[in-house]
Amino acid sequence: MNDAHLEDLLSAYLEGELDESQSADVRRHLASCSDCRLLFESLKDAREALEGLPELEPSPALLRKLYAIPQKRRFRVVPEFLLRPSLQPVFAGATALLVFVSFLAFSSGGRAFQKSINRQLHVGYSKAEKLYAKAGSLTDEMGSYKQTILGSLKNIKLLKKGEEE
Amino acid sequence: MLINAYAKKVFNLAYQFSGSAQEAEDMTQEIFLKLYSSLRKYDFAKNFTAWLLTLSRNHLIDEYRRTKWERTQRDEFNNKVIAQDAFSGPERSIVREENKKLVWESLDRLSPEIRMTVILRDIHGQTYEEIAESLGLPVGTIKSRVNRGRLQLARVIKDRQGEWT
Repeated sequence: MNDAHLEDLLSAYLEGELDESQSADVRRHLASCSDCRLLFESLKDAREALEGLPELEPSPALLRKLYAIPQKRRFRVVPEFLLRPSLQPVFAGATALLVFVSFLAFSSGGRAFQKSINRQLHVGYSKAEKLYAKAGSLTDEMGSYKQTILGSLKNIKLLKKGEEE
Repeated sequence: MLINAYAKKVFNLAYQFSGSAQEAEDMTQEIFLKLYSSLRKYDFAKNFTAWLLTLSRNHLIDEYRRTKWERTQRDEFNNKVIAQDAFSGPERSIVREENKKLVWESLDRLSPEIRMTVILRDIHGQTYEEIAESLGLPVGTIKSRVNRGRLQLARVIKDRQGEWT
């Protein structure tokens, strides 16, 4: 058995996984080769050191961050395109509109405001009606003026004809 | 609760692999984010711990490959519990602590695949079969990786002991 072959078997030998004849070969080699013996002792030390490395407790800050993850993920059920920053002004406008509408619909101040709007609308409508009526009477007046003027023009023509004769 | 059951395990795996508590905290968060988004893909017939370990191992090795040029040194080894061995003298305890420090600092010399295998076997105490299942590799490959990793660490200890004598 050469050194390279022995090295391949060292972990298996350490863990008792070799059969009896392989174990005997390794023992013989280790007994005769001080360098390999030292390597085997170091391998045992390395394994012992690894097994003895301390475990750390996760910090409270890390645990807080981990507990916060599921909540963040739950919010992801909203379609991604709705979370685009470019839509934020649209959402802000829609929210303001909804607040205004609910203020009008449900608050007493809102109802008073609604009444005053209705009153203003009513006043505006009656003003428009009056204006329309005025416009109608003005048209009538214009019609009567038109008739008068036409009558006068006819009279003037008749007079002119009488003079010629 | 997943966090109660697995946060410490995932954090320590990330810490032992990366060597930095800060990096381990970031990676633990990323692994749990991945875990929550992949839970739908989990096959309930399979071992959950093995599945989580595969996910963690893949993430850690991918991140290591992606950022290895930006990486700093491992955190300084600081064993918070330096318990003196009841069966050996203080001298042996000092040697053991020195070996732990040496092994901790030398873990970065191992390739990411070998380092991960050694951590799972010797620090987390998993069987070769469990590691093979979680990494999706033959048991022989895992045994070979563990032996190569241990030999690399053993040579560091051997060389240091050669310097002392």
